[in-house]
Amino acid sequence: MLVHKHSTPLKPARVVILGAGGFLSPELTRLLAADGVPTRAIGSREIDLTAADAGERLAAELRPDDAVIMAAALTPDKGRDIATLMKNLRMAESVCAAIGRSKPAHFVYISSDGVYDARFSSLLTEESTCEPADLYCLMHIARERMLEQSCRAAAVPLGIVRPCAIYGPGDTHNSYGPNRFVRTALKDGKITLFGGGEECRHHVHVTDAAKISILCLLHGSTGVINAATGEAVSFREVAEKIAAVIGNVAVEKTPRANPVTHRHFDSSALALAFPSFRATSLDDGLAQAIERSQGL
Amino acid sequence: MSTNHSIGFAGLSHLGIIYSMATAVRGFSVLAFDEREGLATELTAGRFPVSEPGLDEAFRAHGKRLQYTADPKALAQCGLIFITLDVATDASNNSDLTALENLIDRVASIAGADTTIAIMSQVPPGFCRKLAGKLGSRLYYQVETLVFGNAVERAINPERYMVGCGDPAEPFPALYQTFLQAFGCPVLPMRFESAELCKIAINCFLVSSVTTTNMLAEICEGIGADWSELAPALRLDRRIGPYAYLSPGLGIAGGNLERDLVTIQRIAGQFGSDAGVVTAWQRNSVYRRDWVLRRLFEVGLLERPAESTLAVWGLAYKQDTHSIKNSPSLALLRSLFDYRWQAYDPAAIIPTADFPRVRVCSSALEAARGADVLIVMTPWKEFASVPLDGLTTPHVLDPYGVLDGNRCRELGLQYARLGA
Repeated sequence: MLVHKHSTPLKPARVVILGAGGFLSPELTRLLAADGVPTRAIGSREIDLTAADAGERLAAELRPDDAVIMAAALTPDKGRDIATLMKNLRMAESVCAAIGRSKPAHFVYISSDGVYDARFSSLLTEESTCEPADLYCLMHIARERMLEQSCRAAAVPLGIVRPCAIYGPGDTHNSYGPNRFVRTALKDGKITLFGGGEECRHHVHVTDAAKISILCLLHGSTGVINAATGEAVSFREVAEKIAAVIGNVAVEKTPRANPVTHRHFDSSALALAFPSFRATSLDDGLAQAIERSQGL
Repeated sequence: MSTNHSIGFAGLSHLGIIYSMATAVRGFSVLAFDEREGLATELTAGRFPVSEPGLDEAFRAHGKRLQYTADPKALAQCGLIFITLDVATDASNNSDLTALENLIDRVASIAGADTTIAIMSQVPPGFCRKLAGKLGSRLYYQVETLVFGNAVERAINPERYMVGCGDPAEPFPALYQTFLQAFGCPVLPMRFESAELCKIAINCFLVSSVTTTNMLAEICEGIGADWSELAPALRLDRRIGPYAYLSPGLGIAGGNLERDLVTIQRIAGQFGSDAGVVTAWQRNSVYRRDWVLRRLFEVGLLERPAESTLAVWGLAYKQDTHSIKNSPSLALLRSLFDYRWQAYDPAAIIPTADFPRVRVCSSALEAARGADVLIVMTPWKEFASVPLDGLTTPHVLDPYGVLDGNRCRELGLQYARLGA
């Protein structure tokens, strides 16, 4: 649950975005610019957060009236091993060091819905038990704890956004879900499902994930919020929607390797935090993703 | 029946007002004490701070046997005194026993050595045994099962009396025995701890039914079933029964059930019992409470705070009561604090200073007039008789199904209720 410092939105003096080369950063930059908020996006080419001097260099970039948003991580397509985990934690260590030195006005961390354990209930809330199933998700919960400790020590308000799988234009990875389905449908004329694609998931449009993150920035929010929009739908339904829009696309099942698990999110906290937020419908979001991929 | 003995009641909150009245209805002479300023005067005039069906009628018919007083010394004449102060709870539903303990000390210092003292207030297990160490064998704990909105009827015609005793094998004092027999129901003596837990156990079973109903009603919504078609079948099952709590709602509210859940969690923690199911009930209750909030959010009715007007019928936590303790309606008003509201309730009053954007109306139709959505948050019967033709709100959220949903749809209104 989030607690807002500003009940009505207040623009930060500047927003520093960590993870300039990632999926979410361009959308954050675009929306903030449209809102008249100055931004400074920092990517690994400028400051490699795994480097020994990264904390110091980042601290030098930060001002006391900055709001900082961290959307920087080595995603599973870059590696699922221990070495990748440790690099990700080193990145967080650098950021924590910078927070201690520069004490920005507000910090928002982009985490993941993967931190939750859906074994005991398929309906998840911000209060659900965190039990990461893999090292990537473990990394996010470890980073959350690191940032909580550092922000508390530096008296910096911390907001944590846990988005479900994000899709939409500008995806830098190729994970299982809408974006991969669109690519393979356009390229190969087929979409391959894991099993029958029965698993229900929320699919969050990149604009919606960015908007929720920006709302946290504008309200100076502290606490945790899930960025889970719309209804959870099955991968099969997503594939069929894409196939219907593109036409002449085969949706293929494969032998199931893992048991079916569903993940639904309770939208109460999001409704409470940002009642006037309106999510992109899945149909509109998929149509947009297809158009962009077709170069229209 | 009639008796010359006065039966005393100390603490005239909801519990004391209702049970002192029921005792008078059963023919006893009653002395009811509360020293809060002006309260005895108001009660003597028949002006009650609580709203319960049948209360005014009972007062008119039997009030002559009731004497309200602010003087504690008057209790000295009573051979049987009930302690009936409702125990307040905080925002986390924990009991604050301070006022009750002070009242008991006060009464014990006034009552004669042979006076029987029976606690009706909501106390946690262990409370009475400890108190009996001070008061001796004249102490009893009579389990109350007051139901808001049906309290008078249930107090006059109880299903049974459960009485906690220091020694259940000992006979009751004569006056207490006379009192218990006057209600014509089974009397179950048991040790203090059993009686204290019995009250909590009853509430746990109620919450269990409420939660199961709510969970299954939501599944009905998902698969296209209608809970109102299932419920009659369940009531005919002897293992579930005709009076089971099978109406879907917005979670548990009112304060008493919530308090007992917190108490049982604390005891389970103390003794290492698994009370995870209680946590699940609590979680489900909050989830159900927010059903309307989610609906409004998900269909986009909250997009324009500055331009929207929301109408709410019902502020009380349930029908036929004025109580707003843990009311889902007030939780909704707080959640959407920045929105413009028009509200109506037949009995409940809200602190308007806490809700500056809520305009309290004098009728249901006035509250609905010009609103973008009508939300029926409390299932008062009078709402069912409001002429629907007069409604102009494009959306109707009626979780309890008070209104005629088909008629609403015929009128072109978007209608939704729980369980279908």
